[in-house]
Amino acid sequence: MNDIDEHLREIIPRLRRFAVSLTRNPSSADDLVQSSLERALSSWADKRPEGDLRAWLFSILYRQFLDAHRRSRRYARMLEFFTGRDDAQPSVERTVIAQSTLEAFDLLTAEQRALLLWVSVEGLSYKEVAQILDVPTGTVMSRLSRARQALRQVSDGEITSPSLRILK
Amino acid sequence: MISLPPSERDLHAYVDHQLSESDRRVVDTWLANHPETAAQVRAWQQDAQKLRAALSGVLQQPANPDLDPALIRQRLKRQSRRHLATAAALVLAVSVGGLSGWQAREITLVRTEQPMNDAMQAYRLFAQREIMPADYKVSADGDMQGWLDRYFTQAHRLPNLSAAGFQPVSGRLLSTEQGPAAMVVYQDGSGHKISFYVRPPGPENGFLPRGSRSDGELQAEYWSGGGYNYAMVSPVTDPAARMLKQTLKF
Repeated sequence: MNDIDEHLREIIPRLRRFAVSLTRNPSSADDLVQSSLERALSSWADKRPEGDLRAWLFSILYRQFLDAHRRSRRYARMLEFFTGRDDAQPSVERTVIAQSTLEAFDLLTAEQRALLLWVSVEGLSYKEVAQILDVPTGTVMSRLSRARQALRQVSDGEITSPSLRILK
Repeated sequence: MISLPPSERDLHAYVDHQLSESDRRVVDTWLANHPETAAQVRAWQQDAQKLRAALSGVLQQPANPDLDPALIRQRLKRQSRRHLATAAALVLAVSVGGLSGWQAREITLVRTEQPMNDAMQAYRLFAQREIMPADYKVSADGDMQGWLDRYFTQAHRLPNLSAAGFQPVSGRLLSTEQGPAAMVVYQDGSGHKISFYVRPPGPENGFLPRGSRSDGELQAEYWSGGGYNYAMVSPVTDPAARMLKQTLKF
């Protein structure tokens, strides 16, 4: 147990960083990390696959994020239905030129942010990312290519194509 | 071995260090002669580098103690123990007639340091809040004593409070740490309620000298006899409480 906990403690800062880049909010990021760790530790014995522990934890966290996101979007739609307003999302597409790499990064979709973080920052292999997303390696590569071009475009302020919009 | 010119995928794999050493050298050589593609690859590499730098700060934030794995393990263990305990209490309650889990749980978990605390607790739950339907209700020719005798044959007779305007109206069976208990609720014309409560003395509790005590808004008269402990509970402010002291001459 102690070995595992030591190993986990080393990974936790990386999980928190990943969670921040998904949620863009440190406190909800930590909630996400906590629920992911709970999920991981309670299904440790029967679910933990061979291979990189980090990749497994990333995939748990990513899934929890998507679930929570889906729920909150549903909730926002419901709210909109009852109030007749949509406070949760800016309805107009905004074109923004990012001032910094982080700003540019924040303009990407959640999946693009996850991909770039896994590959460019954490150095996961395409195969590991393919397992997390449960898609073929080829798909990972083409999505990565799109993500990278998107980041390039917003960083440069070259253009903001219709595929790049703020989905906050 | 990759083919030349390298595909876009190959170029990304090159940026991400996911090409074999030999393929990497091939691309290196090729890029040296294709400055435009080389510039694009360099831009991708720089973006990745900038991103790593921009996100490295987040790694340095102070640790959040709530996220410590040992603590999370403990929390998970506590939760599962609590679920087990709740499940056990529910099983116990289901085996006792007519009680729902939560009420039974509240009663069985009450530590009776004070004499007949459970009687007061039962009064709060059933007479004041009336959460549960009665197990027995007196109809026109009903016989509350007969109902009680089915469970507590040796017990003292129900006190006759009719002089004060109180009639027994309903009975309930309960589960306590000391064993099965019964509560009979008396009511007068204006809706005041008094309860008669009977149960075994329990392994440690023993028999009680006659006494009375109040707890919050409730007043209890208690005594022992015929192998059981008894309590009569009523609100302190109720004139019935004073009346009880005088009526209960066993």
